[in-house]
Amino acid sequence: MDKNKAVITEGLVKHYPVIKGYRELLLHPVSKKQTTALAGVDLEVNKGECFCLLGPNGAGKTTLIKVFSTLVLPNEGKAFVNGLDVEKDSKKIRGSIGFAISEERSFYWRLTGRQNLEFYAALNNIPRSQRKTKVDEVLALTQLEEAVNLRYNTYSTGMRQMLAFARALLIDSQIIFVDEPTRSLDPQAALRVRRFLKEELVSKQGRTVFWATHNLDEAQQYGDRIAIIAKGKIRVIGTVDRLTDGGEISLQEVYAAAMKKGSV
Amino acid sequence: MFLYKLYSFLKRDVLNAASYKFAFVSSFVGIFLTSATFYFIAKLLSGSQSEALSPYGGDYFSFVIVGVAFSGLLGILQEGLPGIIRSAQMTGILESLLVTQTNIPTILVGSSLYTLAFSSVRTFFHLLLAVAVFGMQLGDINWLGSLLVFLLTALCFLSIGILSASFIMVYKVGNPFGWLFGSVSGLLGGVFFPIAVLPPWIKWLSYALPITYSLEGMRQSLLTSATLAEIMPNIAALAGFGILLFPISLVIFRWAVVKAKRDGSLTHY
Repeated sequence: MDKNKAVITEGLVKHYPVIKGYRELLLHPVSKKQTTALAGVDLEVNKGECFCLLGPNGAGKTTLIKVFSTLVLPNEGKAFVNGLDVEKDSKKIRGSIGFAISEERSFYWRLTGRQNLEFYAALNNIPRSQRKTKVDEVLALTQLEEAVNLRYNTYSTGMRQMLAFARALLIDSQIIFVDEPTRSLDPQAALRVRRFLKEELVSKQGRTVFWATHNLDEAQQYGDRIAIIAKGKIRVIGTVDRLTDGGEISLQEVYAAAMKKGSV
Repeated sequence: MFLYKLYSFLKRDVLNAASYKFAFVSSFVGIFLTSATFYFIAKLLSGSQSEALSPYGGDYFSFVIVGVAFSGLLGILQEGLPGIIRSAQMTGILESLLVTQTNIPTILVGSSLYTLAFSSVRTFFHLLLAVAVFGMQLGDINWLGSLLVFLLTALCFLSIGILSASFIMVYKVGNPFGWLFGSVSGLLGGVFFPIAVLPPWIKWLSYALPITYSLEGMRQSLLTSATLAEIMPNIAALAGFGILLFPISLVIFRWAVVKAKRDGSLTHY
């Protein structure tokens, strides 16, 4: 196992069962219908890089992140995070990654930002004596100190996203997974989030950021490397410079070709 | 760390519940109304004492209040945990809990603590109100006996709650365990009337329900001044249910989580 790799996948396959209608259930009670989310993903992400996984809705981005976060189990293939097998070492993996779940409802709305973070700090084995220091530290990092005693339901969408990062940073994880973090943010809030991920987490702190997005500009500007995923397969992977032949073609063209042909 | 985590769950739920002030207060008003209703029903029945009530002191009001107060504990625990899991599936909270370094049994027990604590307070309040306002007659209370019955009852009901939550985890809606133990317990568990009045052909089913032993033990402890030795058969039965059901429910819930991870349906509802 290459110690410089934060993430490695080998032929990763994930099928989801499709729920059958009554008619189908009567006609074919035993047969199983399934849809393929990941169709043999081979991927390597280097430690300390900002890696953007670019693809349309339904391409398999979220599934891939959930496999890395041990929330979804693969059907075939292997996936390693920090050298740990997602199926065999799931507990250790949970102690070594941060997954910034962006779902607004994944926080307790009637609790304050601090109360939410203190709860998750306890669940992440942060001793009581260190809890306040740790929470203060991540709040300072995400610039949420002033909102700390406000209820979560009073937070703006941008603040909620930053609190999701704060939660992911509670454990000293070297890799942070983010799934479309700027999806519903206004331009200014989106810029703040992008800069935080790239400048603070990657450039300053040397962490690995695995960033799923469908925003080409975002990937082009902030990704050290980009992988384009479509229909559960990685179509192209490399630096922006390499993918665009040193600027000879645009990333948009590369993306369109990847979507159209399945490969470029 | 385990206790600290449990404390964190409890604190989270207390803070959350306390923020809904009206719901918090109205649940206690409901207790008063229930007690008053049974008080008048008991008054109506006071002239026609049933032989079946004599082992419990002969007073229907005391009999039924113990049943209603403790069956409330059953309902809240059985519906509470599946409700928490379903709500967590719908909101995404479940995923945020499962990516932490906390194991599933701790999440389950932690998530149930507030429900258990709150329903215990409600049960105590129910009894207190019945004694102070409606003149419920208590015997020489066997504190140790009632505590043991209470703890074992909570263990059994929690196990049933975990089984129900497992079903919700996989099938999303429907709660056959809750229905089976909840509705059937109301009819056959001796909540509103002694099981002695049931026809023999159905009475045997009562003995397959933990609540039967729970209510019997609690009535012995509170109403009939029974000794620990006299309550022991009920305690032993409850312990048997708990020892059997708790590990089974944990194994089944773990299986349900793995299945949901395989199906990718942790957040489906």
